Amino acid sequence: MKRKVVHPEPSPSEQLNGPKYWRSLDEMAATPGFQEHLQREFPEGASELQGVDRRHFFKLMAASFALGGVGLAAGCRRPEAHILPYGKSVEGVVPGLPLYFATAMPIRKSAVPVLAETHQGRPTKLEGNPSYAPYGGGTNAFVQASVLDLYDPDRATTHTLGGRAATVAAVQDKLSGIGRAYTDSQGEGLAFLAEESGSPTREALVRRLKAKFPRAIWAEYEPVRETPPAAAAQAVFGRNVQPHYQFAKAKRILSLDADFFHAEAASLYYSREFAKGRKVTSVKDEMNRLYVAESAFTLTGGMADHRLRLATSHMLGLAAAIAAQITGDSAFAPLAQGLDFKDKDKWIAACAEDLRSHRGQSLVVAGAHLPAEVHAIAYAINVALGNVGQTIDFLEVPASDAASIGDLANAIKAGSVKTLVVFGGNPVYNAPADLDWASLQKSVGEVIRYGYYVDETSQLASAHIAATHYLESWGDARTADGTIVAVQPMILPLFNGLTDIEVLARIAGEATTDPYTLVHQTITGLAGGDEAAFRKFLHDGLLAGSGYPKVSVSLSAGGLSRLLNTTPRYPALSKDNLEVRFTTDQKVDDGRFANNGWLQECPDPITKIAWDNAILISPALARELGVYPGGTALQVARVETAEFEVGKEKAHLAELTLNGRTITGPLHIQPGLSNYTIVVPLGYGRTVSGRVGKGQGFNAYPIRTSDAPAFAVGASLKVTDQRYLLANTQEHWSMEGRDIVREANFDEYLKNPGFVDEIGTESHSPAIYGADNTPTNDNKLSREERAKLNATRATTLPRGGSLYKTPEFNGVHQWGMVVDLNTCIGCNACIIACQAENNIPIVGKDQVLRGREMHWIRLDRYYSDGKAEGAAFGGPGNKEIPEDPQVSLQPVACLHCETAPCETVCPVNATVHDEEGLNAMAYNRCIGTRYCANNCPYKVRRFNFFDWNKRQLDQLYMGPLGESGMPELVKMVKNPDVTVRMRGVMEKCTYCVQRIQQAKIAQKVKAKDSGDVKVPDGTIKVACQQACPVDGVYFGDITDPNSEVSKAKAREQDYSLLGYLNTRPRTTYLGKLRNPNPQMPDYAAIKTPFSRQEYENKNHPSHGDHGHGHDAHGHSHGAPATHEHGHTSLQNLQRIGGLS
Amino acid sequence: MSHIFPKSANKLPLQIIIFVLVLVGVVTAATTYYATPKYTRIGYAPVQPVPFSHALHAGQLGIDCRYCHVGVDKGATSTVPTAQTCMNCHNQILPDSPALAPVRESFASGDPIKWVKVHQVPDYVYFNHAVHVNRGISCVECHGKVNEMEVVRHEKPLSMGFCLDCHRDPASHVRPLDQITNLNWTPAQASEHAKWAQDFVKNNHITPPQSCTGCHR
Repeated sequence: MKRKVVHPEPSPSEQLNGPKYWRSLDEMAATPGFQEHLQREFPEGASELQGVDRRHFFKLMAASFALGGVGLAAGCRRPEAHILPYGKSVEGVVPGLPLYFATAMPIRKSAVPVLAETHQGRPTKLEGNPSYAPYGGGTNAFVQASVLDLYDPDRATTHTLGGRAATVAAVQDKLSGIGRAYTDSQGEGLAFLAEESGSPTREALVRRLKAKFPRAIWAEYEPVRETPPAAAAQAVFGRNVQPHYQFAKAKRILSLDADFFHAEAASLYYSREFAKGRKVTSVKDEMNRLYVAESAFTLTGGMADHRLRLATSHMLGLAAAIAAQITGDSAFAPLAQGLDFKDKDKWIAACAEDLRSHRGQSLVVAGAHLPAEVHAIAYAINVALGNVGQTIDFLEVPASDAASIGDLANAIKAGSVKTLVVFGGNPVYNAPADLDWASLQKSVGEVIRYGYYVDETSQLASAHIAATHYLESWGDARTADGTIVAVQPMILPLFNGLTDIEVLARIAGEATTDPYTLVHQTITGLAGGDEAAFRKFLHDGLLAGSGYPKVSVSLSAGGLSRLLNTTPRYPALSKDNLEVRFTTDQKVDDGRFANNGWLQECPDPITKIAWDNAILISPALARELGVYPGGTALQVARVETAEFEVGKEKAHLAELTLNGRTITGPLHIQPGLSNYTIVVPLGYGRTVSGRVGKGQGFNAYPIRTSDAPAFAVGASLKVTDQRYLLANTQEHWSMEGRDIVREANFDEYLKNPGFVDEIGTESHSPAIYGADNTPTNDNKLSREERAKLNATRATTLPRGGSLYKTPEFNGVHQWGMVVDLNTCIGCNACIIACQAENNIPIVGKDQVLRGREMHWIRLDRYYSDGKAEGAAFGGPGNKEIPEDPQVSLQPVACLHCETAPCETVCPVNATVHDEEGLNAMAYNRCIGTRYCANNCPYKVRRFNFFDWNKRQLDQLYMGPLGESGMPELVKMVKNPDVTVRMRGVMEKCTYCVQRIQQAKIAQKVKAKDSGDVKVPDGTIKVACQQACPVDGVYFGDITDPNSEVSKAKAREQDYSLLGYLNTRPRTTYLGKLRNPNPQMPDYAAIKTPFSRQEYENKNHPSHGDHGHGHDAHGHSHGAPATHEHGHTSLQNLQRIGGLS
Repeated sequence: MSHIFPKSANKLPLQIIIFVLVLVGVVTAATTYYATPKYTRIGYAPVQPVPFSHALHAGQLGIDCRYCHVGVDKGATSTVPTAQTCMNCHNQILPDSPALAPVRESFASGDPIKWVKVHQVPDYVYFNHAVHVNRGISCVECHGKVNEMEVVRHEKPLSMGFCLDCHRDPASHVRPLDQITNLNWTPAQASEHAKWAQDFVKNNHITPPQSCTGCHR
């Protein structure tokens, strides 16, 4: 500075005149850091620091310092961010681009092969591995949600020995110590209790372990069965074989309490194959027919064409009766005595005849949980029908020589077990109640627990070894048909966990304990020492041709009769002698996923209850117990299945007593249950779990004993006067005669494939696309012409006179979607896949009770029984809950309406339409008016009432006074390509816009300086489409008449939901078909689907005194003759074979 | 009535209104000038842990942008290079320079160098480099003349308006694909180039998204 400004000492009066913040700006300006900052920030100010007079200096400094202070304090400037590149470059990694690796999710004895999408080394999303053809790239809800388990903050993060944290080295020493300690005694006193596994490496290790410790006990235990008991095949065929069903080849299927959509080991395969037989794309296709006899209401029962409600304990009788009819062998008859249900003889005769007339193309499946006798009879029926080698294959599986948990319990009671190693599972929680496993485990001297969570079993163990998640482990597994699949890690173990094969190898004192080397040894051994084969194994994710071998079997009549040499008693079931059916929960399985927030919050596919389980009772039993909902005086709509108060289900708590053991749980009325069977889902009521799982639901394991693991007779219910709130996400179950799901029987479809256009308000209202463009006229065109017509309609503006100014649909593509309601099985995989892909948060039970669940896809489940009252103010029929309903499922997400009602009402234009047909949501613009959600006729918009990601779910109402911050670990599961929304912002399905944009970008990058910017059909798979195991979702460019989605939209069954509102949704539905058998006794009631009957009742009521209902007000339509509209009169329906 | 207010108080409402209007005007002007990206971002040139000079490497030595920023034509980010990329040359050139010590340390240990991010868009904006670089937009359009910068400086506002200006008129910003990383390139003939650009945009269907879904996911 030219002049040094010297300030005089402040006079006493000055000092008293108020605060002085600094004596001189010079003092501040003199610091080098500040000067440097100034230099960079405000060049003008900095340069003028030299040679300026005091007043000028002051002015400058005050202004710039103020602004600089603002800037320094990061007022206007965004916070400083950093870029952290690698030190050493990583091969193949381009930061920002995801990498996909093949791995598999092992569950019990089987596994699902998956492709893990990893961003910067951490897996964020799992897709099915399309290399494994049987599953075709489909997955289920468990697989989709398993990625969240990897980042579970409640997982075991340290190893503990004797209650104190231990290092990995200490744990490894401990394990080898155990091995050494028992070497001399050959394992006397050593016992293992492991969960089942299909891993060949583990199998080999266990063999070596048993060879080294021949006197040790190796027991395996799983609380649920998903494969038929080996005893059945052993007795009937004399071999250790498992059935593997080929549903695609079966035209007629009878399921005996078999939930093959979910509860069998190969469910993904069965669902996919079944859907292949179910899909009807034209009148030339055939459709399979499904008969289901079951006691609970499963998704398989929901798909059934004929459903019989029968107690599980009576399945043996039904199987025997069917077998007697089909084989003509009278030996089965005694087993069928005592079986009784409505129209029993006719039902069995018609069903058997249908199966018989499809020799080699029929299939009888018995549920895995049923006793061996039922399976034996089912095998016999299949053999008699010539199905073996056609629709049912038998695979030779290695016999399991593991001890049972009962044997182990006896050994512990005898005091012969000194060290117990518990491998996974959770026996303290789910072991049979009669064993009293908790006290048994406590009595063992040393218990080493190897597990992923610190759970009930860990509490009673002296050491806990933290397990790795499968996404951070090396291993292998087998799919349900035996194909060996790779389990390769996506990320190093986050918390120094150990893999199960490493633990086994250390105990066995093996030289190699590195899991990668062990897997390498196994696979190269199987593949003939070929390194290339191992690389291919890791790349594809599977070892081709390694499945269990198919073998031919021959029925041994002697074996069969020996097995069936019992006189069954079918106890009369009543209110005081109830049958309890223990089911694996659809969401938490046997309890292993209890701490998975996504699964807990996902509504159960049939009951639609989230966060809880309930004791499911039939409407008849509810009446007897006195918990039948009374309804209202004027029952305009169908009565609910419970008492709802402001949308919250107030369930009665009841005590369930079975053989002297009692548990308490809420009652929920489930239409379609066998009258005196109550369904008790397992897997809830965890006492030691994480923040999500603890205390949710009630524990059913305490009443489950080893002699009756799947069903037991002799229970009684005592209703208490306490209530419990259940978070039921779908309060109303009836379509009330509306055309929401449009259904027809297969024979009506064959005669009139465009049946959907005769249902619904569009059949009465003026045509959406103008007077000549009626659906009837559309159906006169060929499929190709219709596809082309759809393509032009997608880009032209709506009919004139509309106030709605739509955006120009002039993009390169126009996106559309079709959901095939005929194929959807309701498995919920799409819901979880969408949640994983789009960073959808969970909200907790309290908020779900308020209806604020955030899932973008809502799977509606409707019951219909034809009894909805047609009168405007309802009637007595409305007070009945269906006892034998048909189920209609419909997944609804944002339909991306071309003339979206939500767009016009946003005050800040946060939701707009883009030029390719997507209804876009700009989160940063949204101010949270919620007018858009109000205006949406489909109610598919979700609002972030709280900051679900940042705030603790049980402290939401404390706002900023509550804890904030998401655990760092959970942040890792978020998909970096999708914005994480904050409080106050509306969100909804975006047609996976991130996937669309990435595909368009990839195409443009490939195109470079050419014009080839159109994305080829099939490149983009939206999350729900990719997860769907039955390929029920089509997505693509509707301007391309040859794309899959255009072909689907050109089908006659295609309709828009609430289409008469002229919203022109881009997602349309294909109507559902049912295929009942005219010979069956219940055919008269279901000549048309129940929902259709209800529709006719409501919309075309037969009031004779008004003359023919429709002609009387036909002219008010203001259009040519009634039949031009294509609306259906009662007469038409009767002609097609409708109401009798 | 007693005289509570002096006569001059009659002028008060008008004064208040004028004051408010002037205040609103000033605040709006100040915000528009000072608080928009054009002011807050342009000129941001933070101190980096390693005094890397683009003017030397990209300008004087003529190293192509993509030698270091390898991901720019493949993915969303332009991938600041790893220490290994630096060491490709600097294990022989200035191997003991103290300014390069952080680079050597990073290469040896694997710990990243904490570069300060200069160009940033908000979290809800998804920008993709690859599609721009491969379709005729040069680095200089958004980053300015990096080959003349000693310290990387934020040259353009990178506001939504800035992006839309180009998205609405791509022809005035495209250049031949082989000149993308030639930051000094200017068209030989302006009118000819304008015609070439129009054709380029038309023939290659360059339709930059103008609706929200283009960048906001």
